[in-house]
Amino acid sequence: MTARAPLPGSELCVHCGFCLQACPTYLALDDENDSPRGRIVLMKALAAGTIADTDPFVGLHLDQCLGCRACETACPAGVPYGQMLEATRERQASVRPTPLVARLVLRVFERPVVLGIVMFGARVLRATRLPWLLAKLPGRIGASMAMLASTRRPGGGRARVALPSSTVPAAGTLTKVATLDGCVMEGLFASTNRATERVLAINGFAVTAAPGQQCCGALHVHAGDADAARALARVNIAAFEQSGAALIAVNSAGCGAMLKEYGHLLKDDAAWRERATLFSKRVKDVTELLADVGPRAVTPSADAPRVTYDAPCHLLHAQRIADAPLRVLRATGATLIPLPDAEQCCGSAGLYSLVEPSLSLRVLSPKLAHIANTGAQVVATGNPGCLMHIGAGLVRSGAHAVARHPVELLDDAYAAERTS
Amino acid sequence: MLQRELEAIVGERNVLWRASELLVYENDALPGYRRRPRLAVFPGTRDEVIAVVAALWRAGMPFVPRGAGTGLSGGAVADDIVVLGLQRLKQVLALNAGARTATVEPGVVNATLTKAATPFGLHYAPDPSSQTACTIGGNVAENAGGPHCLKYGVTLNHVLAATVLLPNGEIIALEAPRADRAGYDLMGAFVGSEGCFGVALDVTVRLTPNPEQVVTLLSVFSSLDDAARAVSAVIAEGVLPSAFEMMDNPTIRAVEASIYAAGYPLDAAAVLLTELDGAAAGIAEDVQIVERLSRACGATDVRTATDAADRARLWQGRKKAFGALGRIAPDLVVQDAVVPRTRLAPILAKIAEIGQRLNVRLCNVFHAGDGNLHPCIPYDASDADESARVHAAMKEVMELCIAEGGSITGEHGVGSDKMAYMDRLFATESLDAMCRLRDAFDAERRANPGKVIPSRHCREWMSVRGVEA
Repeated sequence: MTARAPLPGSELCVHCGFCLQACPTYLALDDENDSPRGRIVLMKALAAGTIADTDPFVGLHLDQCLGCRACETACPAGVPYGQMLEATRERQASVRPTPLVARLVLRVFERPVVLGIVMFGARVLRATRLPWLLAKLPGRIGASMAMLASTRRPGGGRARVALPSSTVPAAGTLTKVATLDGCVMEGLFASTNRATERVLAINGFAVTAAPGQQCCGALHVHAGDADAARALARVNIAAFEQSGAALIAVNSAGCGAMLKEYGHLLKDDAAWRERATLFSKRVKDVTELLADVGPRAVTPSADAPRVTYDAPCHLLHAQRIADAPLRVLRATGATLIPLPDAEQCCGSAGLYSLVEPSLSLRVLSPKLAHIANTGAQVVATGNPGCLMHIGAGLVRSGAHAVARHPVELLDDAYAAERTS
Repeated sequence: MLQRELEAIVGERNVLWRASELLVYENDALPGYRRRPRLAVFPGTRDEVIAVVAALWRAGMPFVPRGAGTGLSGGAVADDIVVLGLQRLKQVLALNAGARTATVEPGVVNATLTKAATPFGLHYAPDPSSQTACTIGGNVAENAGGPHCLKYGVTLNHVLAATVLLPNGEIIALEAPRADRAGYDLMGAFVGSEGCFGVALDVTVRLTPNPEQVVTLLSVFSSLDDAARAVSAVIAEGVLPSAFEMMDNPTIRAVEASIYAAGYPLDAAAVLLTELDGAAAGIAEDVQIVERLSRACGATDVRTATDAADRARLWQGRKKAFGALGRIAPDLVVQDAVVPRTRLAPILAKIAEIGQRLNVRLCNVFHAGDGNLHPCIPYDASDADESARVHAAMKEVMELCIAEGGSITGEHGVGSDKMAYMDRLFATESLDAMCRLRDAFDAERRANPGKVIPSRHCREWMSVRGVEA
């Protein structure tokens, strides 16, 4: 093994250990090799060549990382843990095979036609009672079925519906905004996408489509397949440039975090670097856009639902957005109940719940207990992975609460106001 | 074979033996000391701890107790012996709000204990800056302090009892002295023994009622000297802040560049963070005194935290300062010394002179109220020349503190890092007496050997390299 280039960012870590209690896998496994500090030591040693890329135990500790980046918002030294992990996984991918289930998903998400067929199949399955019947099965099948079951919404709402004519744009806005469809969002949460469009319009944004957009590439980067992600990034940058929108609204925290990092992803691509950086600056989480303009609030009613909020890691830790979703939820008129440890990962983490099912469920279990203790009817969270993972946990445990996107709740509140 | 025997007790996953998996256990939070442990073992229950320690005793294998590895004196590193990690023992066993006590396992995190006590209007008072990560077991071993120890006392003042497992397997119950108790204070001996006397299986601590009112002030100074004089002036006036902290300009800049930016002015030579707490009546007067004296000593601005969130922000900046210094250079040495508070101003000037003369980046962030200094030097350990200058500077700083009538540790312990200064602080007879005290707990030197007392004084544990792991 020869000495290699050090891992950029790793020199910032002074081993203080303040990250330990922020790490869901350290809390679950109690071994520093499964903590940020430990993984940084391992990644540094891999980069320096002092331990072998093929060491299966080192690989295991890195695979067990959720990539939630909660360590980043705990780190006083500003260690760019997420970027270090992605760089390490990219190098590791060439020597250690990606699990079959992950490879399968990645290849499907890269191909819009195949993705469309898979999502159609999933919706057909969802229309039957099968997912509910199979949700209690152990292992991946049960988990997947529970996830699918949790995505069902009354009314469906797939078509791009006309906006209510009574919409009064907020004064001085009407900024042209293009929305990211998102693979899972458009495939399984189409009604949430439509709600997003309606809510943006009601709050004075001119919503436009960006045809030609594809998967954001986040899952690819997390799995170490950065080249595939770069190809997708170029497609998306071009598509959104074509749309002529000033801003890009994203209702999936994981995708939003990825789009905001296109500048970093394409930093070594001279032809795309600048376009990517400009693109990233225009990306906003939908709650960020809404919080900036208000959003328009409805009068709280007596039967307002009790809602608790769980922060998606890629919104709170990666994008550092904490208050915007709460402002959106307050606008719904709901009674907000704080969720203990809301900043802790739910265990979804992209493909993690499929690749590391048992650890993923161990991380989820305290979350479900906290949710039950709040007595909330709705858990709001703005990311499809979290919606499905928490949603599946609620379905399988027979809980009465459901998981919903904050914007979905605001759309419901606007609709209720119109009919009353 | 010891490894197999330990695996039989705690399970395969909880015994580490591969070099790659032991890497992170090679040091604590003081990056300068790296030692390769032979094995690391993580018992998950009290019974497993007892069985593991018995197995180590039979094998003649010494061990180093470790909690979260946040120590700053190289105390939790194991040189070819066993790391006994107690982080899995993290149950709060009992919380008696009426009696204001809690009994916890050693791996319970300091801040987690306070979180558990919060619904009862109580908290655990010792608050080391690492409180979000460090464990009660480690706090007891180091007799940990923290900003609020100025008013509330250090760990020793908050430990009421402990069940201690000695290295030979004997279990003893220790209790803090009370008016109605006869006999020697062995609890006092155990707290601060740096893991050299054995391990605590459980610890009963005092919980403190949350104060009725808290006021936090940020005073800004254009010289370190002014800030140091303000500290002495306030204490001399008879005001006892619950915490009284100082940060100098390089520290302020590092904190302000971090996620814990607290709004300290970037051009300040020093800031003082003063907290006053207690019954609502009377605080206003103390606040006025602090403000008046600070301004009289040259404070350019004094402001009061507007609400709880603002106060938390001011404190987060202070508490995460060590880590924030990581952004200046890859390595960091954090020192810990105590000097008479009245001598703060001249000593800080001399420390600055040492830093300039040896061309090192000396930063100060410390508990000014009790004269507990934490000179820090960010540096690059791969630069041999800079490393040598850093260590020379630290040596001079420690010698200065000793010469001024101070001590070589306020709260971080002696560990590996400060053994070399023990001779200067204590006579041979005193060190020998310490060794004899240790004999009472661990005559065979099985727990954390080679730390605290220089080996020429103690009949130290000899190499166990011959022992089969």
